[in-house]
Amino acid sequence: MAAALAASLPAPSAAPVVAAPTFAQIPSSMNHLVDVEIEIPVTSVQLDGMVISKIVKHGRGGSAGGACGLLVGLDLDGTLAVSNSFPLPNRAFDDDEKASKSTTRYQASMLRSLKEIQADDSVVGFYQAISLGAFYTQTLLETHAVHQERLRHGGIVVVHDVSPSATGKATFRAFRLSKAFMELYKKSNFTTTGLMGTSLTFSSILEELPVTIRTNPLLSSFLGVMSQSDDTTESSGSALCPNFNSLNLSTAGTTKSLERIIDSLDAYRNEENNLAYISRTIAREKVKVDAALQKRKDENATRVAQGMNPLPEDDVARMFKVPPEPSRLESLVLLGQIDAYAKGLEETAGTSLVKMYAAKASSAV
Amino acid sequence: MSTVPTTATVQDTSSHSITHHATPTKVTVHPVALFSILDHYLRRTNDQDRVIGTLLGTRTDSQVHVNSSFAVLHSETKELVAVDEDYLRTMYELHHKVNQKDVIVGWYSTGSNLNTNSALLQNFYTQEIAPHQAIHISLNTGLEEGQDAGVKAFVGSPVGVSSKPENCVFVPLPVELKFNESERSGIDLLTSTLSSPSSVATQPTADLEVLEQSIQSVSDMLDRVLTYVRSVLSGEVEGNQAVGRYLMDTLGAGADDLEKSGFNASLQDTLMVSYLANLVRSQAEVSSRLALATAAS
Repeated sequence: MAAALAASLPAPSAAPVVAAPTFAQIPSSMNHLVDVEIEIPVTSVQLDGMVISKIVKHGRGGSAGGACGLLVGLDLDGTLAVSNSFPLPNRAFDDDEKASKSTTRYQASMLRSLKEIQADDSVVGFYQAISLGAFYTQTLLETHAVHQERLRHGGIVVVHDVSPSATGKATFRAFRLSKAFMELYKKSNFTTTGLMGTSLTFSSILEELPVTIRTNPLLSSFLGVMSQSDDTTESSGSALCPNFNSLNLSTAGTTKSLERIIDSLDAYRNEENNLAYISRTIAREKVKVDAALQKRKDENATRVAQGMNPLPEDDVARMFKVPPEPSRLESLVLLGQIDAYAKGLEETAGTSLVKMYAAKASSAV
Repeated sequence: MSTVPTTATVQDTSSHSITHHATPTKVTVHPVALFSILDHYLRRTNDQDRVIGTLLGTRTDSQVHVNSSFAVLHSETKELVAVDEDYLRTMYELHHKVNQKDVIVGWYSTGSNLNTNSALLQNFYTQEIAPHQAIHISLNTGLEEGQDAGVKAFVGSPVGVSSKPENCVFVPLPVELKFNESERSGIDLLTSTLSSPSSVATQPTADLEVLEQSIQSVSDMLDRVLTYVRSVLSGEVEGNQAVGRYLMDTLGAGADDLEKSGFNASLQDTLMVSYLANLVRSQAEVSSRLALATAAS
């Protein structure tokens, strides 16, 4: 029995020499693709149909922290093909260390299981369900930065906006942390000088990658059958009937967007006040230090004039504690959030204008 | 092959009768479950005719909702069928961690072949989740000649004087595709790939494009209705009263509530919002540049 099963199971990591029937010669044009040494940067992301539906489903059941999960797949010639995904358990309830341990165990176990059924098992990034376009959060950036260090090609993050999907538009966008951000992150140097050196603004924290969505032939034929059957059969039960949510005239989402913008503006103002306070403190302390230093110098001058040994100058600075320069990451992230909300609002307003005029024109007929 | 998982021979299971709860009368399936099955089928090994797996979902008194599925390793010959029970348990626990509501409700296989092995597997799953009854979903991928793609759901019912696990009648159940309205757009996205030759759609799409598509499809529908109405009027086709009634109801709904003053007020609001959004964006941009510039001075 075991033998029968063993035969049907995938031989784990069978050496290619053993399992070599006649493989076709790899054409020379493809040679650079299979060369594992060459670093081909990822230029686009391709999501499988199943991944789309999995993310959408997970996002709908969205918890407060936003649904989050891992993407597995392969990259070939600059295209990162995401072939599967699995959700991560919500860890809002447990304490951190225990939760992160169990998440790691869960991840490893899941990847092993995927391998057993011959699915891809290399993690290429993660996905995050967000609402109203606000994907700039510090946790997301930090999670991504951690992934970036571990994964080949640094990994990507796919964000799926939950809110517009209710109105007939599903959005998936892929991002990667920019080099400038990673540099600063590694040194954790988000001070003004650091930001200036790399001229990092909120729009350059993440680089967007183009996303394509691909359904495999089996899935597309199946979908074809599903969407076709409603033309022939009377019962619309199992079929996909057309959807006109995008024609909805109501602008209910606008209020929420505006509220969010105001909230993040408040948060930003707070953060700016904090920063200003800290920099004022720094400036005050610096003035004190300078004054003390000057005093010491004058004293030394008189001491030298009187023929005494001068006092050391470097211990003066140690008498005062100048606070370290604050990190501006939070304010950057908040600005990014404000911008994202505003952009979303702008788009909604734009389309609703068009819709209103269309409705007016059609009612005048 | 150092780690051969423990296997359970389904045949060994005792054939004592199980007190069944109410038999489900309807099955709803979430698209994700179907897509996973298709993906699993794509990744099967060469010598596998079909793949099987476990269905996860919730059940009410008379309905079973299948929310997701995962693949299970199995091997079958003419006499024997074996499933990797350890794998099943592990996967179930993993899935359960994320979605606590979902429990095992049954199993799936591809192809529409219901044989003795299917009966054994049915028996195995029914015992796994006793006292509830396991449902079976057979998904025909439509790859074989002369068979249509489709989904069928069954419950097993014992047959014969003395019930044996390998004797089983698969009673068909009505099955429905069900998903949340908000997931609709995701499905639309996938169906939109059908029309492109390489089954690829690009993201992100602009709001206006989606709007354009919707209006286009409405316009197409109106054209279809118009042709139908014209052909009825000219006497080519006999009019269907039900269709006429629906048309009357649909087209009778006017945009009367959009009277002049309401329109203008709403227009001003929208323009204001648009202006505000632009203002906020430029302020944000300026502020981020200023942060860099103040440091420079």
